[in-house]
Amino acid sequence: MLTSCGKTPIGNTVDFSVEYPPEDGGTMIDATRGEPGGLITMIAGEAAASAVAQNIFSSLLRYDKNLEFEGELAESWQVSPDQKTITFKLKPDLKWADGKPLTSADILFTWKLVTDDKTRTPYGSDYKLVVRAETPDARTFRVTYAEPYAPAVNSWAGLQILPKHLLQGQDINNTPFARNPVGSHYYKLEKWRSGEQISLVRNPLSTQGPARIERLVSRFIPDEASQFLELMANNIDTMILNPVQYARIFPARPELEQKFGLYKELGNSYTYLGFNLKHKPFDDVRVRKAINYAINKQELIDGVLLGLGEPVSSPYKPGTRWTNPNLAPYSYDPEKARELLRQAGFKDSNGDGILERNGKPLSFEILTNQNKQREMSAVLIQRRLKEVGIDVRIRVLEWASFIGRFIKTGDFDMVVLGWSLAIDPDQYNIWHSSQQAPGQFNFIGYNNSRVDRLLEKGRMELDPDKRMKIYHEFAQILQEESPIVYLFAGYGLPAIHKRIKGIDNPAPPAGIGHNSQEWYIPKPLRRTEISQ
Amino acid sequence: MVYPKTITPHRDQSVNDMLKYLLQRLFWMVPLLIGISLVSFLIIHLAPGDITTTESGFDPKASEESRQKLREIYNLDKPVIVQYGLWLQRMVKMDFGTSFASHQRPVFWQTKDKEGNVTPGMIQEALPITLLINVLSLALILVIALPLGVVSALTQNRAPDRAITLFVFVGFAIPGFWLALLMMYWTGVVHDWLPISGLHSQGAESMNWFARALDTLKHLALPVFISALSGLAGISLFVRNGMLDVLHQDYITTARAKGLPENTIVYGHALRNALLPLITILGLSIPGLIGGSVIAESIFAIPGMGKLFYDAVLMRDFPVIMGILTIGSALTLLGNLLADIAYAWADPRVRRGVMQ
Repeated sequence: MLTSCGKTPIGNTVDFSVEYPPEDGGTMIDATRGEPGGLITMIAGEAAASAVAQNIFSSLLRYDKNLEFEGELAESWQVSPDQKTITFKLKPDLKWADGKPLTSADILFTWKLVTDDKTRTPYGSDYKLVVRAETPDARTFRVTYAEPYAPAVNSWAGLQILPKHLLQGQDINNTPFARNPVGSHYYKLEKWRSGEQISLVRNPLSTQGPARIERLVSRFIPDEASQFLELMANNIDTMILNPVQYARIFPARPELEQKFGLYKELGNSYTYLGFNLKHKPFDDVRVRKAINYAINKQELIDGVLLGLGEPVSSPYKPGTRWTNPNLAPYSYDPEKARELLRQAGFKDSNGDGILERNGKPLSFEILTNQNKQREMSAVLIQRRLKEVGIDVRIRVLEWASFIGRFIKTGDFDMVVLGWSLAIDPDQYNIWHSSQQAPGQFNFIGYNNSRVDRLLEKGRMELDPDKRMKIYHEFAQILQEESPIVYLFAGYGLPAIHKRIKGIDNPAPPAGIGHNSQEWYIPKPLRRTEISQ
Repeated sequence: MVYPKTITPHRDQSVNDMLKYLLQRLFWMVPLLIGISLVSFLIIHLAPGDITTTESGFDPKASEESRQKLREIYNLDKPVIVQYGLWLQRMVKMDFGTSFASHQRPVFWQTKDKEGNVTPGMIQEALPITLLINVLSLALILVIALPLGVVSALTQNRAPDRAITLFVFVGFAIPGFWLALLMMYWTGVVHDWLPISGLHSQGAESMNWFARALDTLKHLALPVFISALSGLAGISLFVRNGMLDVLHQDYITTARAKGLPENTIVYGHALRNALLPLITILGLSIPGLIGGSVIAESIFAIPGMGKLFYDAVLMRDFPVIMGILTIGSALTLLGNLLADIAYAWADPRVRRGVMQ
């Protein structure tokens, strides 16, 4: 009895691939690399916090499996004809996990919190654009903007609603509620063992209906290799694999493939090579295009991701409506690259293999942070650029120094970095010419009046179809101007134990977890649990 | 041992001297601590970036205005020396402050709010587990290294000595993380002997205290073993060399000449003297007790001091960094003091030296 570590003694004899009808109960254990500081996401802002908090708190809206909006707490929402007012109608009889009713007052309270100057959140700006927020009745919440603001809808899908009756009068910045939250989603907090794990149990008062799995446990295991050992030993049910584990280790071990299902989902970010457009010669579109042609994206995907990724040609998730289907990535064409560089006036006058113009060699530094995929990409890029006569050195930096010392000050030539594949198409902060001050996100210095106009128009347009056309055109200009070289978007690679059933495969755009409340663990396949 | 009678009248005098010496040393620790903290404060602020570049620095949804607001709240917009003054002001009241990240959790010790909700401190949670591992591993090192060192010295340059030296150096040279992963695989995946990572099994809450303690010990077995292995070489060679020095001294020859049994000579006379320098080593290792290894803690998923410090540095979470550095430097100074005192206690020659 003393040796029982929650393992199935019969682990190898159970056939996990048998199908069973859905039933409630069981425990799913996963592993995350970081421990959240607290579970109020507007304060915490870490990925680890939102991964747990999204099971506890609800927002007004959410994204469905195809990344279109649907109501979460809201039953419906309406945009006024002048596009300045959004009215949310809440579902009836919503309750917090402690039994108190959830009303529009809670939503107003949360909005006030996130826009309060005393709240230490970096996410207030979207919500500060609301000029009037009102609650005509307990089920209606209405916000009015000074002018139409399309990303507003997305922002209401991102704001997790907090309970007024528990947080009123508290200092949101250090309230104990952050480690002992009460929410309204499928699960509620059961126990948080500091530094070890968080366990959630089903919330019987869930505003979204019941989930099937009784208990979710997230163990904090910072090391990828340790996570994988725990997975092999059947102590955790799911983890996100890296390409080597997915494409090399798993296929070589049939006993693992017997127990675990491997899945692929669209990644949430893309990796790019960015130019400092304020530095010569990157102000010359021919040079940027030449570098784009000189880089072999498929080689990067095969080498860095072992084929587990895809090229992108716009900053949106492939397969969603915002992606312009007419765009294709720049092909690998070193001849064209050489030709473009020749047109731009570069030639190798001293025979050292490096091109020059006016005596200045094409010689740069690529900066990137300590991230294996980015480092490897930089090495492959270095080699391909050398073939067309561009000399590149690589410098790898720690994140805070990289951002603080080089990005903020604009002191770089080329960077390998990533942006998220946004769900909302608004990219104003990244590409608008007004966003170039130190600390803002157009740090490459992109300046195009057509793009500026499109981004402004896109923000004012709430109609999805009209918005789509605007962002297709925007992506097209980016493609022609090549201010960055899109390198790749890697897949998310979850491995999930076969005892967990009801998984939607292949994963829709929203990812494998979109229907996790419907996942279930049949009784015969569960771990033996020490009864409480 | 019989002391000459003439020393007795001086006894009270020497206790007073000792006290005076102690107070002096304690007093001089204050300016030293301030100096250390100032230097560390300046150095960590030399690194580019702050909490607003790390926590949400690259999220386009987080605006630069709100980040500027955060910098003002945390006084990060003020000159470094002013920030140091503010920090010192708090430290005088033993207030370690709250973390910039992590919902402003208290850095050192728990706080209680009006409703009686307790927020545990970050160091308070990480310290006990790191201490436990380090004390266990130090104990294990001593238990193994002492006999190894003695045997080595007694069999100098013969097969057992060579074998022991080889063993401790292999232990010293092996990369800990690599051995850790191999051991985890062997004892946790191939065999079901030990848990792989973490501190408690699932369902540990419902075990009785004995089963819980056993469960924790099993979780600690590998981390303690791995960290002890690399420490064996230092201590065992220290003991070996100390023994060799002592064994060649005249009084050992005298003891042999008197015809004392070999065991009495080795353990009664030689070892006691050979262990003296070990006091210094142990005193110096006191601050090391509160420092954990980042790599070991990450691999074994142990929420200890090493990981806490490392994460704080990456996040530029200044209050946490300064809190750990301050406690660490205070302990270093205390450890030195304790080592000196213990030395004086154990060796009359040193005692007389201190008094003069």
